[in-house]
Amino acid sequence: MASGVDALETMPVSHDARAVRWALRLWFGALMIFLYLPIAFMVVFSFDEGATPGLPITGFTLHWYDVLLDNRSLLRAVGNSITVATAVAILATVIGTMAAFVLVRGGIRWPNATRIAFTLPIMVPGVLIGVSLLIYFARAADLPLSLGTVIAGQLVFTVPFVVLIVASRLQSFDRQVEWAAADLGASPRQAIRHIVLPLISPAILAGALISVTLSIDEFVITWFTIGAQPTLPTYIYTRIKFGVTPEVNAVATIMLVATLLIFTIASVVLGRARRRPDRRPAEADA
Amino acid sequence: MSDGSAAPAIELVDVMKRYGEAVALDGLSLQIQAGEFFCLLGPSGCGKTTTLNLIGGFVPLTSGELRIEGRRVNDLPPHKRNVNTVFQNYALFPHMTVAENVAFGLRMEGLPASDIGRRVDEYLELVDLAGFHDRYPGQLSGGQAQRVALARALAKRPAVLLLDEPLGALDLKLRKQMQVELSRIHRQVGTTFVFVTHDQEEALSMATRIAVMAGGRIRQIGSPREIYQRPVDRFVADFIGESNFLGGELRNDGPGPIFRLREGTELPVVPGFGSTRTTGPATLMVRPESVAVGPIAPTGPAPMAVIAGRAANVAFMGNHTRITVKTDAGVLVSIRFHESGKGAAEEEMVDREVHVWWDPRESTIVAAGDEPDVGEETGGG
Ligand SMILES: Nc1ncnc2c1ncn2[C@@H]1O[C@H](COP(=O)(O)OP(=O)(O)OP(=O)(O)O)[C@@H](O)[C@H]1O
Ligand SMILES: [Mg+2]
Repeated sequence: MASGVDALETMPVSHDARAVRWALRLWFGALMIFLYLPIAFMVVFSFDEGATPGLPITGFTLHWYDVLLDNRSLLRAVGNSITVATAVAILATVIGTMAAFVLVRGGIRWPNATRIAFTLPIMVPGVLIGVSLLIYFARAADLPLSLGTVIAGQLVFTVPFVVLIVASRLQSFDRQVEWAAADLGASPRQAIRHIVLPLISPAILAGALISVTLSIDEFVITWFTIGAQPTLPTYIYTRIKFGVTPEVNAVATIMLVATLLIFTIASVVLGRARRRPDRRPAEADA
Repeated sequence: MSDGSAAPAIELVDVMKRYGEAVALDGLSLQIQAGEFFCLLGPSGCGKTTTLNLIGGFVPLTSGELRIEGRRVNDLPPHKRNVNTVFQNYALFPHMTVAENVAFGLRMEGLPASDIGRRVDEYLELVDLAGFHDRYPGQLSGGQAQRVALARALAKRPAVLLLDEPLGALDLKLRKQMQVELSRIHRQVGTTFVFVTHDQEEALSMATRIAVMAGGRIRQIGSPREIYQRPVDRFVADFIGESNFLGGELRNDGPGPIFRLREGTELPVVPGFGSTRTTGPATLMVRPESVAVGPIAPTGPAPMAVIAGRAANVAFMGNHTRITVKTDAGVLVSIRFHESGKGAAEEEMVDREVHVWWDPRESTIVAAGDEPDVGEETGGG
């Protein structure tokens, strides 16, 4: 069987086709460079010996990663970020999963309108959410700004992601498997615990991981709702005002790798859950 | 039908089920005795699955009463009913092994682990799947998955086992094999089986009794033989096997009841077969294998029903021959099974004047009316 490329090669096409294809490839390459070159520079500079990052690269060093580990305030910011991300992931997952159940199975009146209402915060600009939260915390709720308000602010847009992911899995859930559980003597609570939750756990896990990645590098809403303790992105932002130092590059590189890692895990987990065969409600691996 | 003092395993009294405006079950009444292999048979959409789901407790009744072992269970949730279901798509738990699937219901009962282990072994053995404990459902063939579902339901030792077209997804050969297997398991465990199918052959071969359903109602309940030989109406006769129908009039002014065809031929019938009415327009039904064809009708002590006609077609079908005869009353089909040591004389009859005849005890009166409609709402005579 001929592959797609072979078919193109043997098909009689206009003599411009080759040129067009090359132009498209070039354009694609340029786009990739535009997207990733700055990030690539950041990663390279984090290993650069020079005290002011820039070209030409003078030599390879892990010095800035070393400096980073001695910077107490930066480490505290990293700690704050991890605290916030963990709290956001746990809360968003619990709240979002519960909301997904209501959305899919609650027998609510306007399911589609409710679904949109649930997921709208994803589309609302962060600045808007940030400003409104700040006003709300300061004027209405009279809450002092802290990591707690940051967590609350980030939940506004992470919960909808969890709702979306878990609800779509619940939607496609085979109700007969649940009937079978009830048929075999499982109370509704037992059926949820032993059958439904294990089967939708990949979606829940993916929701949690996506919440972590969203939380770790969230800036706009955090900036509005943060108190005295900075998270990593807000710390970097305040530091950069005094000039870019190579250790910021090092931190950013670590963040990049961590985010990519978590995102990859989430995609793999979700992908595996989605790839179950439709022929039978069954899957080979546990 | 056993008619002991014990309450029936399942009893439906005037059950209605509506989905919004649509009526799925329209006043269904039915009794299933303990130990029966009861088949619900009917065309697609007639309400078979709905009936099972009502008994299982997955959908609520609109009105009427449902009793399991004499107890009214209208509002009892499924996990408290002493019935278990084998679902059409098996509904195995994909994240559990075969053994865990079978053990699930026993775990919910709170049985001690050692008893669970023993019972899992026992029922996997029963369905011929010993040694499949650690497989996952995704690693099973359709027939094996089906048997796991069966073991999982039977391990609970329910009063009634509900099976919704459990063989529907299997290929023909496996189906036949599983039919034999199911009959064996039924005899072995003695549990009441309620089996849904739209395959008449499956119902005839396995059931102790059959309920033929159409449009949310029961048309006829009876043993496979009764349903096949004495269908109450044209719908049942048509749904189960092939039939010849003759329109005419039932008369009772002579020594015995007579069926008079429109062109005047008079056929003897046996009183009490089919419709209880003794006079008026009626339809006579006779199965093709009961109809004989030959140049001249035999004369004997017992009067035969005889019609003259012309053999229009003779088709050799392997183990039988199909003869189509045109008569003034309509086209009749006869099926002759081949007997060993007898040559085929049937082929010579094509285009000849012949007679068709049958023993009156083989025919039955079905729905009333000269032109019976096969429609949904025809009541019995
Ligand atoms: N959840 C539902 N909502 C609305 N109508 C339904 C629902 N379930 C069944 N029905 C209707 O009730 C009628 C009976 O359905 P049922 O599933 O019992 O048929 P069936 O005899 O099992 O058919 P099949 O052989 O195709 O499985 C059908 O007309 C069907 O459209
Ligand atoms: Mg059905």
